[in-house]
Amino acid sequence: MLGMLAKFLKVLNSDAAPGQIALGFAFALFVGLTPFFSLHNLIVLLLICIVRVNLSAFFLASALLTLVSYLTDPLSIMLGEYVLNHPDLLATWTQFYQSDVWRAFKFNHTLLLGSLILATLLFIPMLVISRFVIIMYRERLMKWFETLKISKLVKASKFYKIYEKFGA
Amino acid sequence: MLKWIRWSGLIGFSVISALIVCFWLFSAGPLIKMAIEKFGSDAVGAQVNVADVSLGFNPLSLTITGVQVADKDAPMENMVSFDKAVANLEPFPLLLGKAIIPDVTLQGVALGSARSVSGALQKAPEQAKETQSKENETTPTAKAAETETAASSLPSAEDILARETLLTEQRGKAFETSLKQHQTKIDDAIANLPNEKALKEYETRLNAIIKGKFKSVDDFKQRKQALDDLRGQFKQDKQAIANAKLAIKEGKSDLSKQWIGLKSAPKEDLANLKGKYTLDGAGASNMAALLFGDDAGGYAQTTLEYYEKIRPLIVDDEAKAEKQALKDKRLEGRFIHYATDRPLPDFWIKQLSFTMSLPKIADQPSLGEVAVKVVDITHQQVVINKPTRLWATGQNLKNMQSLQITGELDHRTTPGKDVFDLQIEDWQLSKVKLGLAGLNLMSSRTYVQAGVQFSEGKLDMTSTTLFKQTQFDSKERTTLAREMVLALANVERFTIEANAKGKVTDPKVSLKTDLDNQLKSAFNDRIDQKQKELEAKLAKKLNDKLLSYAGGYEDQLKQLNLTEGSLGDKGKALEKLAKSEIGNYQDQLKAEAKAKADKEKAQAKAEQEKAKAKAKAEADKKQKELEEKAKEKLKKLF
Repeated sequence: MLGMLAKFLKVLNSDAAPGQIALGFAFALFVGLTPFFSLHNLIVLLLICIVRVNLSAFFLASALLTLVSYLTDPLSIMLGEYVLNHPDLLATWTQFYQSDVWRAFKFNHTLLLGSLILATLLFIPMLVISRFVIIMYRERLMKWFETLKISKLVKASKFYKIYEKFGA
Repeated sequence: MLKWIRWSGLIGFSVISALIVCFWLFSAGPLIKMAIEKFGSDAVGAQVNVADVSLGFNPLSLTITGVQVADKDAPMENMVSFDKAVANLEPFPLLLGKAIIPDVTLQGVALGSARSVSGALQKAPEQAKETQSKENETTPTAKAAETETAASSLPSAEDILARETLLTEQRGKAFETSLKQHQTKIDDAIANLPNEKALKEYETRLNAIIKGKFKSVDDFKQRKQALDDLRGQFKQDKQAIANAKLAIKEGKSDLSKQWIGLKSAPKEDLANLKGKYTLDGAGASNMAALLFGDDAGGYAQTTLEYYEKIRPLIVDDEAKAEKQALKDKRLEGRFIHYATDRPLPDFWIKQLSFTMSLPKIADQPSLGEVAVKVVDITHQQVVINKPTRLWATGQNLKNMQSLQITGELDHRTTPGKDVFDLQIEDWQLSKVKLGLAGLNLMSSRTYVQAGVQFSEGKLDMTSTTLFKQTQFDSKERTTLAREMVLALANVERFTIEANAKGKVTDPKVSLKTDLDNQLKSAFNDRIDQKQKELEAKLAKKLNDKLLSYAGGYEDQLKQLNLTEGSLGDKGKALEKLAKSEIGNYQDQLKAEAKAKADKEKAQAKAEQEKAKAKAKAEADKKQKELEEKAKEKLKKLF
C-alpha cells in the first residue's frame, strides 16, 4: 500500500498524462463501489488492460473507493430498489430477466445495480474533476508543495526512500 | 486514438484468462469430487464416496462415476450407490453459482449394496464422546422400547402382569400397610387389659372386702376404702377394654372395607387386561394383524426409513430460514425476481432418471426392474413454483402385470406435503410366510392400491389389497394350523385394508379384512380356548398376588373376633364382680334392717293380737253378764 502510494506520487509528479491518471480514477469507481466478484468487473479489468490507463492510479483509487463503498452501500441499495421496482422499468427488467446472460451479470441485485448506476453517474465527473485537479496540482501546487518544511521532513523519512526507490 | 490502446495489456489479459481457465479445467473435477464427498457426507451423516468426476464441454456436462452413499445406520452397507451419473449443465447459471441440471441419468443404481470399508464418518474425539454419552442416555429407553415392542407382539400372562399397573398390587399393598397399623394399635390396646390372673386376684380381694361382718367402724371404713380403690381399678380396666374393643371395631371395619376392594381387584384387573389385550370378541377381528402385521410392518418401516433419510435432502427448512434472514438484511442488498419461465434456484435437477432392481421380498427372487423418473429436484420449490414429482414404472416384471408408483413432494407452502400412490396389478404371490401357525400363502393373485401422505412429520396411509385365487398351507400340525388351513381352504378371495396414521417414526397401524368374517367361526373356538387359558392363568396369578398380600388375614380376623369375644367376657366378668360386691353389701344392710323391722312388726302384731283377745274376752264377759241379767229379768217377769 505504501509502495503503491509512493508510486502514485511518482506518477502524479511525472510526465504521465493527466487524462490516463483521471481515467484510472474513473474506472476505479466500478471496481471500488460495486461488489468485486461480479461479471461486469471482468469487463472493467479487460478495459483497464487494453486502454492506456494509469494502473497505479486505478489500483490505489480502487482500494480507497472500496472503503468509501461502506458509506455509499445504503444509498446504492436504495437506488437499486427504486430502479428495479419502478413500474415504468418493470417490463424492461422482466425482459432482461429472461436472458441467462443478463442474469449472469446479476442486474437484478439491488446493491449491484444501484452501485453500478452510481459509478456510471460519477464516471464523467470523476474523469473531468480529477484531470482538472491533477493539472492544477502540477501547475500550481507541486513546486510550492516541495518548498514546504513538511515536504523536507517527508523527504528524510522512510516513506521518501521508497518514493526515491521507485523514482530511481 | 491508437495511442490509447495498450496491446501488451490485451495480451497479458488473454494470458491470465487462459491460465485461469486451464487451472479451472484441471482442478474442477477434483474440486467437484471433494465438494460432493464433503457436503454429501454432511447431509446424509455417513461417507459419500466418489470414484471420479470429469467435465465435458460440448455440451457442458459432468460425469460422476462410482458413487457410494453409505447408510449411517449400517456403515457396511450403502444406502444407495450407482456406477455412473451423467449430468448436463447450464453454463450461464453456473456463473451465478447456481447448478441447473437439465437432465441426469444414473446407471447401475442399487439399494443396500455391501461396502468393502465402513461408511461411518470419522468423528472428532469430543464429538465421539458426546455421541457416546447420548447413546448411553438413550440406550435404556431404547432398550425399554425394544422390550416393549418385542413383548407386545405375543405377551404371556407373566409379561402382562409384569408390565401392567395392577389394582391387586396397589390395593394389596395398601391393605398390608393398614393391617400392620391396626395390628399394632390392637396389640397396644390388648397389652393394657387385665388377664385371667388379675381377674382372680380381683375376686380374692373383693371376697376379703365383702365377706365377714364389720368388726368396727374403722374396719368398715378400711374395707370401704379398699372397695373404692378396687372400683377405680375396675374403671381403668373397663376403659382399657372399651379402648381395645374400639380398636378392634375400627380395625375390623377398615380392613373389611379394604378387603372387599382387594377381593374384587383381581376381577377388575382381569376385566381391564381383557379390554386392553383384546381377548374379548372384538379381538378376533384383529387376527389379520397377526397374520400380516409383521411383513406389512417391516416393508412400511423400510420405506419410512428411506423417506426419513431422503427428506432432509429435498426439504431444507433451515436453509430456507437462513435465506429469508439474509433477504431481510437490506445492507447486503437482495435479488429481485421477475416473472419468468426460466427460474433459477441454487440447485435444480430438472429430470433424473434411472433403472433399478426391485428389492427382494423374503426368499423370493427379484420381481424385475423399476424405471424411475424424478423431475424438479430442488430445495427451493418456491423459486421454480413446482413440486418435485416422481414416477416409477415396473419393467421386465416377473410374476407381476404392472407396478406404478407416483409421488409429489410439495414444499412451496408451509407445511409441506408429500404424497405417494402405489398401484400393483396381478402380483402372483407364492410361498409367502404369514407368521402364524406356520401358515404360508402358497399362491395368490394380488392387487394393491395404496396412498400415503406425509405432512408435518405425520403420515396418513390407506391401502387396499385384494387377494384372489388364494391357496394356503401350513407345515405345522397343531390344532390351530389344521383348523386354519381347513377354514382358509374355502377362502377364494379376501381384501385387507391397512391404515397408518400418526408420527412418521411411530405410526398407529390398523389392519382390517373381510378374511376375519370368513375365518371368524374357525378362529372363535380357538380364540375362546386361548382366551380362557390366558384368563385362567391371569386369574390364578392375580389370586396368588391377592393371597400374598392378604396372607393370613382371615385367620387374623378370626383371632380378632375371638379376642373381641374374650374382651366381652372379661368385661362382663368385671361388671359382675363389681355388681356382686355392691349387691352383697347392700343386701347385708337391707337384711339387717328388714330382720329388725320384721321383728318389731311381729312384736307389734303379737301385742295387738293379745290386746284384741283381751278385749274380746272382756266383751264376751260383758255379753254373758248382760245375758244373765236379761235372763233374770225375764224370770222376774214370769
